[in-house]
Amino acid sequence: MGVIKRNKWPLIIILIISTTLMIVIAVGFTIGFLSENPDGLERVLIDYYGEEWLEGLSSPWIPILSWLNNDYIAGIVGIILSIAIMMGIFYLITHFKKRKLK
Amino acid sequence: MHLPDGLLDPITIIVLWIITIAVMIFGYFRMGKMFEKEDSEKLIPYIGVLAAVIFAFQFVNYPVPGGTSGHLVGGTLVAIILGPWASVIVLFLILVIQSLFGDGGITVLGVNAFNMGIIGGIVGFYLVMLFVRLLNHTSMKKEYKLTIATAIGSYMAIVLASFICGIEIAIGGTIPFEIAVPAMVFWHLLIGIGEGIISALIVFYIYKTKPDFITTESILGVK
Repeated sequence: MGVIKRNKWPLIIILIISTTLMIVIAVGFTIGFLSENPDGLERVLIDYYGEEWLEGLSSPWIPILSWLNNDYIAGIVGIILSIAIMMGIFYLITHFKKRKLK
Repeated sequence: MHLPDGLLDPITIIVLWIITIAVMIFGYFRMGKMFEKEDSEKLIPYIGVLAAVIFAFQFVNYPVPGGTSGHLVGGTLVAIILGPWASVIVLFLILVIQSLFGDGGITVLGVNAFNMGIIGGIVGFYLVMLFVRLLNHTSMKKEYKLTIATAIGSYMAIVLASFICGIEIAIGGTIPFEIAVPAMVFWHLLIGIGEGIISALIVFYIYKTKPDFITTESILGVK
């Protein structure tokens, strides 16, 4: 409880920004101001080889979250994962840096 | 600019993995003093939010004329907020998460982190620093100097990263050099405009509302 109280504002900011980002993704895809067109690199490869070639490139693994076909769900899961992993790694970084100083 | 698996040759992949890992280890030791302060844990939630912003902005593609689309890479933006060395680690972790969704290959993570983290982040940061110092000779307000420098620096970093990416594809033998490099640079000359505008607007907003979050202000030399 104490941890939540101490970090009240950062947690509120995380919630507000995450919600805003999710709304941007949802609204963006719904009203279509976001584009399904290929990005710069994909465009170059498609222009040279075609779309089928690009989709047929071999990979040593199947991405573990590639079954998430829905853009909204993938966006939400990605945002949550980004927050969790980044906070975890940077917690460890600050922890080890401070421990080294002591 | 997320390279997929199966596109590059093994030597290019191994060399760029080694460079990226070396830069991340070096970066860990060079990372700003802000991570050693007594209250540095307070920064962690904000870093989480920044990661979410970069993930979401890389996820959403805005249309670009000519049948292509662009998305924010955010390397220079993260470097301005957290410092150039932290930006490589942040971008690498975001690329790891994106690869779980199949956006960018797993074997070429080191290459993508090199292009977007090291070129987009570290090189972009020093380009911004250069432009800030040039603009210091004018009577412009501090926030405008930083905003303009961010726009130009992040634009140039994206174009440079696309140039390097074109070379990597050409070395891999996928597409000849004379086609890969001009095509990559051409599309990113257009796509980079969005990167420059979005990065500059975010930096301007943060600098106006919460300048403490731009932890590199003194390194950049904004006067």
